[in-house]
Amino acid sequence: MEGFLSTYGSAIVQMALAGVLALSLYLPLMAGQLSLASPGFYAVGGYVAALLSTRVFTGFPNGSYPILLIALEMVVAGGVSALFALIIGIPSLRLRGVYLALATIAFVEVLRVFALNQPWLGGAVGIYNIPQPFFSATRVEYLLLALPLLLVSTLFVARLERSRIGRAFVALREDELAASAMGIRPTYYKVLAFTIGAVLAGMTGALNAHILNTWNPRQGTFDLAILILAYVLVGGSRTFLGPVIGGAFLVALPEIILREVADAPGLHPAIATFLRDGRLILFGVLIAVSVFFFPYGLVTPNLFKRRRKTNVPRLEAAKAAPKVSRG
Amino acid sequence: MRLSNQSLQQYRRLWWFASRGLAAAALVLLITAILTAPSGLQNLFNGLAVGSVYAIFALGYTLIFSILRIINFTHGAIFTLGAYFTYFLTGASVGFNGLLANQRLPFGLPFPIAMIGGGLLAGLCGILIERVAFRPLRNKGADPLLTLVSSLGVAVAIVNVIQLLVGAEIYSYPRNPFGEMPAALNLGTFGGLSQRPVVIRTIQVIIFAVSMATVVLLTYFVNGTKIGKALRAVAEDATTSSLLGINTNFLISLTFFISGLIGGIAGTLVGLSVNVSGPYFGINFGLKGLAVIVLGGLGDIPGAVVGGLVIGVAEAFVPSEHVAYKEAIAFAVLFLVLLLRPQGLLGRAAVQKV
Repeated sequence: MEGFLSTYGSAIVQMALAGVLALSLYLPLMAGQLSLASPGFYAVGGYVAALLSTRVFTGFPNGSYPILLIALEMVVAGGVSALFALIIGIPSLRLRGVYLALATIAFVEVLRVFALNQPWLGGAVGIYNIPQPFFSATRVEYLLLALPLLLVSTLFVARLERSRIGRAFVALREDELAASAMGIRPTYYKVLAFTIGAVLAGMTGALNAHILNTWNPRQGTFDLAILILAYVLVGGSRTFLGPVIGGAFLVALPEIILREVADAPGLHPAIATFLRDGRLILFGVLIAVSVFFFPYGLVTPNLFKRRRKTNVPRLEAAKAAPKVSRG
Repeated sequence: MRLSNQSLQQYRRLWWFASRGLAAAALVLLITAILTAPSGLQNLFNGLAVGSVYAIFALGYTLIFSILRIINFTHGAIFTLGAYFTYFLTGASVGFNGLLANQRLPFGLPFPIAMIGGGLLAGLCGILIERVAFRPLRNKGADPLLTLVSSLGVAVAIVNVIQLLVGAEIYSYPRNPFGEMPAALNLGTFGGLSQRPVVIRTIQVIIFAVSMATVVLLTYFVNGTKIGKALRAVAEDATTSSLLGINTNFLISLTFFISGLIGGIAGTLVGLSVNVSGPYFGINFGLKGLAVIVLGGLGDIPGAVVGGLVIGVAEAFVPSEHVAYKEAIAFAVLFLVLLLRPQGLLGRAAVQKV
């Protein structure tokens, strides 16, 4: 166990963070909006934390940076991301389906190129030597911050799903016209979902800036956006547990599971080599295959429900596929 | 006060004329600005060459989108594959890394034939991808968003297969692939219209010519042949056209083949203009291609061509001191266009179905 933690410490922390990022994309999706802006807010959050900890809260020797300050940075990063989300969200959430996805990707790309060209953000090198609160190479101590973030955001989304707001999101996803006829303001709730998602992504970025020790324009890119989308859809986009489990699983798959399998005793050396070098090939293939075998994701809302005898036909299974309004 | 129906119509007509007039005035201003700028014509030609590749690359997306209503994320990977296939068909050898290090084909084809061969092979890969990642989900009646994820998975796999087999190094095509030709044409100053002599690289002319030939052929194929008519019927309504005896699955395979073919040719053309910069070669291009099709309006051949040329020219006009921001131009333009015209430059507003 000790060896496992020291080998895979940072992968385990990244599993938790992937869950939060997946939730940040899941929230707009819950309201029927396919937004790929999460990496943008993630990058903004990371830069906020990197700037604050290297320029403002200086003077702490390495390894003794206060955890409370990291928490404060996360709050600030969340606030800045929310501000960005409002500015971007209000005009662009008029768009639908693929158009919204592309507009949010445009935001991510413009942000990346902007960061690449700003000397005060470190340009292509980025901001490095971000202070560490722990003395360790494996970074497993960061679980002390990553797990609470994951738990709090999961609980928050779980409660949100059952609240008036969450039901308004779902109503918008199912039928925007009917929902607005029932007095649900589409723009208000869409921007709300988008902004809450942005706050989660920004906080994750802030934490990850400390974990990675450096933050540069390669952190929030298009690749990450589609990876997060894969977290959500592989995990399941109909309940808050889906994104959390999908994120953890897809991070663990190439970094832990396939590595462990490759090290299994008695494996033919050629297979072991392929498993090690071709990890990402298998990763891609498994994503494609999992979508075929689990079209509703690994976790569906009625996975944990006891079968009840009702005379109402069960519509949930038929409707469990993610649905995004497109026009 | 309620607007009467008649005055509403008058307002509409007024707005129609005003908006068209404004657009025309803006266009005239833009053209004047292009022609009178110090290196305006030069930039224009550079932009058209790049933009024409953007256009045919985006056509691959557009074809599949118009039929299946999904974005094919493997298109960037196909683009990369096409460039690599062409490289190996010319008889050049693999680099020092990867499983196939230092291998080469026993024959070498002349470059133009290798380019078409590379395109054809990329097209076959397109058919294979359709069989593996798209058709099973379609038969299941799955949500299009899931197809997006499975195509993403296949794209990740392809990129890493390339990396495993031939390594991540840069590959360059042979020099003078089309025989001995001058490296550039000096077009002079166009009778004093341009202040500096306009110089065009031969490669740029070839790229533009090949791209435009592809566009013309594709337009003829879709609009002028019987099979193109069937293709349009499937795009209109797949169920009805299959009831009318059109082999939908065959046509979808064909679409993937054509999309792969022109994607592969686009990859070769870009490789010709710069070089093949590794397995991730097509990914950045893939992103820009998305901007192009949305800019022009999804699922529309003229839209993709206009979108590609607009983005190419806009990038060429970025002043050299701000060249670092060039990469963001496509997306800045896209964002603005989406806010003003959510249906794209040439698209029609979709009628809201109730």
